[in-house]
Amino acid sequence: MSHGHDDPTLHPEVQMSTSRGYFLGFAISSVLMLVATFLVTSHSMPPFGLLMVISACAAIAIIAQIYFLLHIDTSEHNIWNAVALVLFMPLFLITIGLTWWMFSQLYLHTMIMPGMPAMVH
Amino acid sequence: MLVDLAGGWNPLVGRLAWSQIPYDNPILAPLFVAVVLGALMLLGLITYYGKWTYLWREWLTTVDHKKLGIMYIIIGLVMLFRGFIDGLMIRTQQAWAVGSQSSGVFGALHGYLTPFHFGQIYSAHGLIMILLAATPLLVGFMNIIVPIQIGARDMAYPYLNALGLWLTAAAGALIMISLFIGDFAHNGWFGYAPIFELQYSPGVGVDYWMWTLQLVALGTTLGGINILSTIIKMRAPGMTWGRLPIFVWASLSANVIALTSFPALQVALALVAADRYLGAHFFTAGLGGNLMLYTNLFWIWGHPEVYFVILPAFGMMSEIFPTFSEKPLFGYVTMVLASIAIAGVSWLVWLHHFFTMGAGPYVNSAFSVATMLVGIPTGVKVFNWAFTMYRGRLTFNAAMLWAIGALFLLLIGGLTGMMLAIPAINYMVHNSVFVVAHFHSMLMVIVYAIFASVIYWFPKVFGFKLDEFWAKTMFWLFSAGTALVFVPMYMLGFMGMTRRLDYVFNTAWQPYLLVMELGIVVYMFSVFAFFALLYVSIRDHAKNRVGADAWGTSRSLEWITHSPVPFYNFAVVPQINARDEAAWRRENGLEHIQPDHYDDIHMPNNTGVAIILGGLSFTLGFALTWRIWWLCLLSLIAIIALVIYRSFKGDPGYILTAAELEKMEQEAIRRASRIDGGHHLRPVRGDGWAQERADLPAAGTLYGLSSPMDHHK
Ligand SMILES: [Cu+2]
Repeated sequence: MSHGHDDPTLHPEVQMSTSRGYFLGFAISSVLMLVATFLVTSHSMPPFGLLMVISACAAIAIIAQIYFLLHIDTSEHNIWNAVALVLFMPLFLITIGLTWWMFSQLYLHTMIMPGMPAMVH
Repeated sequence: MLVDLAGGWNPLVGRLAWSQIPYDNPILAPLFVAVVLGALMLLGLITYYGKWTYLWREWLTTVDHKKLGIMYIIIGLVMLFRGFIDGLMIRTQQAWAVGSQSSGVFGALHGYLTPFHFGQIYSAHGLIMILLAATPLLVGFMNIIVPIQIGARDMAYPYLNALGLWLTAAAGALIMISLFIGDFAHNGWFGYAPIFELQYSPGVGVDYWMWTLQLVALGTTLGGINILSTIIKMRAPGMTWGRLPIFVWASLSANVIALTSFPALQVALALVAADRYLGAHFFTAGLGGNLMLYTNLFWIWGHPEVYFVILPAFGMMSEIFPTFSEKPLFGYVTMVLASIAIAGVSWLVWLHHFFTMGAGPYVNSAFSVATMLVGIPTGVKVFNWAFTMYRGRLTFNAAMLWAIGALFLLLIGGLTGMMLAIPAINYMVHNSVFVVAHFHSMLMVIVYAIFASVIYWFPKVFGFKLDEFWAKTMFWLFSAGTALVFVPMYMLGFMGMTRRLDYVFNTAWQPYLLVMELGIVVYMFSVFAFFALLYVSIRDHAKNRVGADAWGTSRSLEWITHSPVPFYNFAVVPQINARDEAAWRRENGLEHIQPDHYDDIHMPNNTGVAIILGGLSFTLGFALTWRIWWLCLLSLIAIIALVIYRSFKGDPGYILTAAELEKMEQEAIRRASRIDGGHHLRPVRGDGWAQERADLPAAGTLYGLSSPMDHHK
C-alpha cells in the first residue's frame, strides 16, 4: 500500500524495459531452440558432441533471457534481482549436482555402460 | 492427436461420456445423490435468507487477509474430513479383506472395495491430506496471523492473496469432481513412473491428479511470494528482525522453501504431461526415458514440502507454549537459527525417499548423514519448548493439551525418522506400514498444532472462546484414536506388512487391523466432538466473549488489537518496543492504552477477478483432464485476457476517514470495556500506542533466560 506510486509504469524496472530488448531476447532464444531441435532431429552429430552443443545453446539462451527478459543486472534498482539469483545458485548446484552424482552411481551399479570393463562374476 | 487414446474422443466433449459417470457404483451413486441434495439445500437456504449479496460482497470478492485465511481454513477442514473418510474406508477394507476366507461384496473378491477403487482411495487420501488439508490450513493461519503479528493492515498483495485462495479452491473442486465424473489416479499421491504413463493408466485418473497438483502448487507459490514480501516490507515501526514473533520466522523459512521448491514439482508434472499428452518419453521404460528421474524430481520438491508444512506447525507451538507457561520463549535466537537450518538442510536429503533405488553406499551414506543432521535443529526446538515450560506457571487448557500432544508425537515421529534415516534399517522396512506410521506421526504433529491453533487464535478472529469441555473431549478422543491406529501400525510394519494392501494375506495380522479399525471409529467420535464443539461454542458465544488479550497471558503483537480484529487490523499502526510486545505493554501497565488520535487510512478494494480466475482455472484443469481442446483454449485465453485487464486497471484503493475510524474504534472500545468488566483496566486514550517508549525498561526476553513474570498477578 505505498502511496504516490500509483502508476506502475513509472517504476524504474518498468522504465528500463524496451521492446527492442524483449524482441532480441525472444529472437535469440527461439533461434537457439530451433538450432537445438534441428541438431537433435537430424542426428548429424555424435551423442556426446550433441549433448555438449545443446547444453551450450541452453546456457546462452538462459543468459539471454536473464539479461533481456528478466532485466537482471547490477544497476542500482535491479541489484536485488541479481542478489536473489546468486542466492538461488546453490540450489541449482545442489539439485543438479547431487542428481548427477546419484545417477552416475546408480548406473555404475545397475547398467552395463558402453566402454565399461566386463563385470567380474 | 499425438497419442493413442483408449476409448472414444470427440471434438465437442473430449473423452467425456455417460459411461464415465459411476451411477452403478454402490458407494458413489448414493453419495452423489446426497451431495446434490445437500448442495441444493445449501443454495436454497442462501436464497431463502437472501444472503447472496452478503456472500458475494463480504466473502467471495474479499481481499481481507483474515477472511481469506478463514476460507483457506474452511477448505482445509472440509478436505481434512474428506481425507478422513478416505482413511476410514482404507482401514475398513484392510480390517475386512483378511485371508482367503474373508467375504466380498460390491463386486470385490474380498472386502467391499475392488483393487482399482482401493488404489484411487489411498492416492486421493495422501494428496488431499498433504496438499489440500494440511497446506491450506497452515497457509490460512499464516494468512490470518502473520500480518497482525507484524503490525500490518493487510498482505503486501491483497489481490494476489485472493488469487492464491481461489486457485487452491479450484484444485479442491477438481479432485472432488473426480469422485463423480471419471476416476482418480491409482498411482499413490506421489505417482510412480511408468505406471502413470498413458499405456498403463489410459483413463483420466492420472490427469485429474496431475492438474490438481499443478493448481495447488501454483496457488501455494503465489501465497508464498505474498507472505515473504509482507514479512520483509510491511513490518510496523520498531518490529526489527530480532523482535519478530517466532511464528513469523517459521512462516518466513517455510515460505522460502515453498517459493524455491514448488517450481521443481511443477516442472516434474509438466514433463509427465508432455509424456501423456504429447507422446514424449521422459519417464518411460524405453527410448531413453528414466523412471527414477521422476522419483528424483518429485522428491526434490517433496522433501522440502514436508518441512514447508512442519515449520509453521513448529511456529504455532512456539506461540502457544510461552502463553500458557507464562514465560517468554526459551532460546529465541536458537529457535530462529533452527528454523533456518531446517529449511536449508531440507534441500540436501531427498534421496532418503528412495534409498532402495540402489545408488550404492557412498550416495546412501551421504544422504543418511544429511538426514540425521535435521535432528539437531529439531532437537534444539524440542529442548527450547521443554525449557520454556520448565518452572513455568502452566495452564493445561485445551490449546496447551493439543500443543503438548504435538510435542509427544514429534518425539515418536522424529525418533522413528532417525531410524529410517539409516539405510540398513530403511532397506528392511522400505515400503512397509512402518514408514506409513512414521510419516503419519509427523503429519499428526501438524494436525495437533493446527487444532491447538484453532483453539488459541479463535477468540482473536471471532471475539469469543471455544468451549473448553468439548475441546478437551475432542483432544482425548483424538489422542485415543491416534494411539489405537498407529501403535499397531508400527508393530505391523516390523512384522513386514507392506503398505497399500487391498487384500491382507496373513490372518495373524487381523487382531492388529481390528484394533486399528476401532481406532478409526474413535477418531470418528472425535469428529463428532468437533461438531459439538462448534455448535456449543457458537450457541454460548455471548457468554464467552473476550477482550483484546483473550488469554490474559498472551505475548505477541496480535493480542493488543481488538477481538474480533477489525478489518483494518490496527486503527493506528503501533510502535513496537519489545520482542513480546503484548507482554511488554502489560508488564509496563500500558495494555489499556488506545491511540490518542486517528488518521485517514488507505485500504484495498474488493475484486471479483480472483474468484473468476479461480473458476476459469478449474475449467482449464477439467478441460485438460478430459481433453476438450476448444474449452482449454477458451479458458486459457480468458485467463490471460483477464490478467492483462486487471494489470492495467489496477486498484487505487479507498480512503477510510479518521472520523469513520474513530466511530468504529469507539464502538470496539465500548464493547471491550463491557466484557472485561473490572477484570482489566478500562481502555484509555493516550500516548504510548504509537510512540517509542525508551524510558521504560526493556522486557527481559534476551535469549529467554530471565523472566520478569514474578510481579504479575
Ligand atoms: Cu524426506
